[in-house]
Amino acid sequence: MMDFDKLFVTRDWFGKPVRRNEDVKFVKGEATYVDDIDMNCAHVAFLRSIFAHARLKKIDTSRAEALKGVLAVITGPEVAEVTKPLPARAITRPARQYVMATGKVRYQGEPIAAVVAEDRYIAEDALELIDVEYEPLQPVMRIEDALKPDAPLLFEEAGSNTLLDDTMEHGDYEKACREADMVLKETFRVHRYSSTPLENWAIIARHDKGTDSFTVWANDQQPGRSMTTVCGTLQIPTHNLRLIVPESGGGFGIKLAIWPYIVILCLLSRKVDKPIKWIQTRREHLLGGTHAPDGIVEIEMPVKKDGTFLGLSVKDYQNDGSFIHTAGIYGLIKFATMVGQYTIKATRMEVLSIATNKGPTVQNRGVGKPTMTFALERMVDIAAKKLGIDPAEIRFRNFVKPEQMPYTTPSGEIYESGDYPECLRKGLALGEYDQCKKQQAELRKQGRYIGVGISTGVEPGTSNLGYYYTSSGVPEYMGSGEGAIVGVDYDGNINVMIGSVDTGQGHATVIGQVISDMLGITPDRVRVDNTLDSFISPYIGHSGCYSNKFNDVDLGAVIKATEKVRARIFTLAAHMLKADVSNLKLGDGHVHVTNDSGKKVSFKDIAALAYKKITLLPEGMEPGLKEIAYYRNPYAKLPNKQNFNVQLTHSNSCHVVTVEVDIETGFVKFLKYVIIHDCGNQINPAIVEGMAIGSTVHGLGATFLEEFVYDDNGQLLTTTFMDYLKPVAATVPHFEMGHHYSPCPTSLLGSKSAGEGGAIGSLAAVANAVEDALSPFDVKVTSLPLTPEKVVKAIKETKVI
Amino acid sequence: MQVKVKINGKEYQDDVEPRMLLVHFIREKARLTGTHIGCDTGNCGACTVLFNGRTIKSCLMLAVQANGAEIMTIEGLSTNGLHPIQDAFLEKFGFQCGYCTSGMILSAYVLLQSNPQPTDHEIREALEGNLCMCTGYQQIVESISYAATKMKEAGK
Amino acid sequence: MIPSKFDYYSPATLQEALSLLSEYGDDAKVLAGGQSLVSLLKLRLASPRCLVDLGSIGNLSYIHEDGADNLLIGAMTRYAEIAESKLIAEKCPLLRQTALVVGDVQVRNRGTLGGSLAHADPAGDMPAAILALKADLKATGPKRDRWIKSEDFFLGMYATALEANEILTEVRVPVLNDRQSAYLKAARRPSDFAMVGIAVCLKRAKNGTCEDVGLGVTGITDKPYRPQHVEAKLRGQKLDPAAIGAVAQSITEGIDVNGNIHASPEFRAHLAGVYLSRAIQAAIGS
Repeated sequence: MMDFDKLFVTRDWFGKPVRRNEDVKFVKGEATYVDDIDMNCAHVAFLRSIFAHARLKKIDTSRAEALKGVLAVITGPEVAEVTKPLPARAITRPARQYVMATGKVRYQGEPIAAVVAEDRYIAEDALELIDVEYEPLQPVMRIEDALKPDAPLLFEEAGSNTLLDDTMEHGDYEKACREADMVLKETFRVHRYSSTPLENWAIIARHDKGTDSFTVWANDQQPGRSMTTVCGTLQIPTHNLRLIVPESGGGFGIKLAIWPYIVILCLLSRKVDKPIKWIQTRREHLLGGTHAPDGIVEIEMPVKKDGTFLGLSVKDYQNDGSFIHTAGIYGLIKFATMVGQYTIKATRMEVLSIATNKGPTVQNRGVGKPTMTFALERMVDIAAKKLGIDPAEIRFRNFVKPEQMPYTTPSGEIYESGDYPECLRKGLALGEYDQCKKQQAELRKQGRYIGVGISTGVEPGTSNLGYYYTSSGVPEYMGSGEGAIVGVDYDGNINVMIGSVDTGQGHATVIGQVISDMLGITPDRVRVDNTLDSFISPYIGHSGCYSNKFNDVDLGAVIKATEKVRARIFTLAAHMLKADVSNLKLGDGHVHVTNDSGKKVSFKDIAALAYKKITLLPEGMEPGLKEIAYYRNPYAKLPNKQNFNVQLTHSNSCHVVTVEVDIETGFVKFLKYVIIHDCGNQINPAIVEGMAIGSTVHGLGATFLEEFVYDDNGQLLTTTFMDYLKPVAATVPHFEMGHHYSPCPTSLLGSKSAGEGGAIGSLAAVANAVEDALSPFDVKVTSLPLTPEKVVKAIKETKVI
Repeated sequence: MQVKVKINGKEYQDDVEPRMLLVHFIREKARLTGTHIGCDTGNCGACTVLFNGRTIKSCLMLAVQANGAEIMTIEGLSTNGLHPIQDAFLEKFGFQCGYCTSGMILSAYVLLQSNPQPTDHEIREALEGNLCMCTGYQQIVESISYAATKMKEAGK
Repeated sequence: MIPSKFDYYSPATLQEALSLLSEYGDDAKVLAGGQSLVSLLKLRLASPRCLVDLGSIGNLSYIHEDGADNLLIGAMTRYAEIAESKLIAEKCPLLRQTALVVGDVQVRNRGTLGGSLAHADPAGDMPAAILALKADLKATGPKRDRWIKSEDFFLGMYATALEANEILTEVRVPVLNDRQSAYLKAARRPSDFAMVGIAVCLKRAKNGTCEDVGLGVTGITDKPYRPQHVEAKLRGQKLDPAAIGAVAQSITEGIDVNGNIHASPEFRAHLAGVYLSRAIQAAIGS
């Protein structure tokens, strides 16, 4: 963390809930998302597999091509001929897959062919004219089925549906078991869901014949990587792709998987003489664009009678569906923070990535941590019950203490800062834990069932991207970083570009706050262009909006570029004011001489020297007043199974929830929902609050409503928002928030991740509350979602949800 | 078929296929792109517009059904600066990615016409046809409540 | 998601609409508010050759009394208009209460009573109320009108007693004094289709027993239905929780209960009993 006295000239903006005035376009309907770009595009529609698993015997597109208004058609086999297969990252078995189905289809909804037509109406009509001959194969949907010795294989070349099976062991787990008074065992299941950004995927591609190059507009969340994956897949030089990311209507990780469609659009655009556009429909989005995997978590936890957690063993089965680019990632990121907020000394984790005929998976908000935290925090409550210790108390006994910070977990993850006990104390107070417990006893006498649940969770950020390769051992990416350009304009105002993109986090406002305090100006003088343009923007392979990296490396790059600009401002001012740099200070958009109250020069005049009156520049000094900087988090370790930090910042939160269960209907009502959040220094508290609450509601959606349900034939039954149920305003509680501030010593601003905590902690908190409410019925919660039917069934018969 | 629609006070006329959706007419014929599309089935409310004074989902209407109608989109809410509801969404951080915002604001606008001082519960009920995937709704509810107070103070 | 091509007609009179139906037969679909139909068209689950839009026919949207203790409601009357009608609030609060929980605000602003009934979604809300109210539905054909009892109207999944050349034009609801009513539905979210919806309209005798009752059930089977065997059991009963509970479970007797991803047949049957009890209690408390 930097010395703020040196970093900042003023403290007027940093840490304040500054309005997102840069984003007034959003409230006026004037933002330009991909579909809003007016380019007289032809439209693309995809023909998708109706089977979950089938061989493609024949695709006949002639009738579609003959339809008036159809400009071109492309099929999977044609795509495969001119592209390379998808790069796998985490899995260790060979598996070959292309951006479009060829030879066989592996999920219902996999693209088989694509049509370009004069408008979207004709394009969809043409799909009905493509004849496909399938030879249906037996679909494999469940993990248990995929593991059977005679299971049909998704990828024959892999020889197994288990594409990754790796075990990481840290500390002496066997010893922990020997020393334990008991070893608790449980199996948890978490279903498939997705954070479903409101704007679906969207791409425009334009081909330039003269150079055989492409310009693409797409709402891609990680354009830095997409540049290499798209160009690599198309086998074109990187400079033949210009990727532009305009406004994006939400991401949550789901838009990390858009790049295969960019490849297809590029190929199609080569066939026609005009720009082409594909706007994904919601049905397409829910079918295959994309999901968080479902999984089974088998846990063993050796504990002492006094509640001490001695070790943790996890066997993690991830149903990764059929997208090898992401397969395996969830397990590898889970293992990093598997010990949660506890001083568990010995861990073992077996990570299994299972291929099935479900849809593709990608890094959905929280990536694996929601599942891991659900399992761990449920396990903690189960241990508490078994040992007769209050759930809050058993957590206090096992927390990493603030005086242990920075704390290194057995696998090498470094928790930089945090006060877990204090957050829980705050949570219990604000959540009125003791009162709720008393009320619970009273209400039970009246036949009402309320329960209180606690969950604590680590919310990591700034992924060290080497983690993808923990098992496969050939890192293509390492660490985390970002780039930024900061310049002074002719009129003395500031303009900024960064390599990242914004999917709703208010980056422009936050950057404006930081720069304003660094240069002694007001945010209205800072203009941030959130559009990424790969020909102009300062991007690197990591560039994009994911893993909570913005507050760390994105702002790090902005700070470094601003420092460079500031140094140049001082140098130029010193020249103009004929003063020594050490006697200058910034304020009100001017550089002042400290010893002589009257002498000053404005940014505008400095800019005039830098850009226009360049003959007057000191000898040897280059004109211009714009700087580029790249920043990386310096604490990223090299990929290494024994000692590795998967993430580079670690926030934490604690949820304390009171619910009432209607035991006749199974509906659950929130009586109180408290979130205590510690993300270190908050740059804009109102934005942090929105992230914390928004991510919590993602968790609540997963806990109660959202589930991708497949039938035995592999048909997805939830392909619209009529069946895939999202939370609405009336179904979510009012959240009470409390904050704690443990500045992060390893980020420049002392800030940490803020975007995923709620999605991580809420599942377990609610599950614990529901189980607590139902304790008179001895119901145990081991799975999600908590549908009314499952709740009632557990009360009446099964005792297990 | 010929369709004539007044949108934000301006008349738009075009020859369209009967199957053209109203939302496509608004976005592609009138080029008013503040009205968004988030689902296929009328569940998300991103395409909400005012149709003869009432909110409807323009993806669940054919353009031909709107022949002769008066429509207001987000672009028509305030031609001069910000409407108090728009200002409130900025003040209280009632949006993140902005994609649902047009529909949210129009739903709020109609709510406050009939119920100028709604409770939080009434606001939440009035938003049942509008999904937001980012905010968890709390800051949206706060924005609308704040707008109601400001509009009352201003006597609007 | 784009509908297939179709011919579109927006007749100005009912007669014109009827002759289009006669001409196209089963190839035509009637478009009212479109809140269900347009989705089906977009998903291409329905691909009619012709759409007959009732939107331009002027005299199908009204709420008034007929002078013989009936409310007459035009088929194109929108849910929002029903919910806002003072006459309905006064004479038939059950309709208002039901209209207020159909879909969401936007859907209620477009969707129509007639559209809901003629669409006959097995989980629609309005049919339950119409059944409990023992309303009659007017089918207008090319030659004549005929009245269909609500209990005879719903034949199955999206199937009604309407002939292909008939249009539902009016709903006649008897205005009965001293009634107490409620509609309650179990839905995953308030605006969702009912897993179970129960409408109750009852009259209590001076001694508190049930003198008369009408029930409408939705979400349970392939069509909304009126469980007359339960009505019979309730008549003359004391309406205390124990007595209601005793008959509640029989609400799905003899009914082929449907299941889907939101609720299995067993759970739906269970909910039906719970919601019948609760709806009766809500009616008594109304």
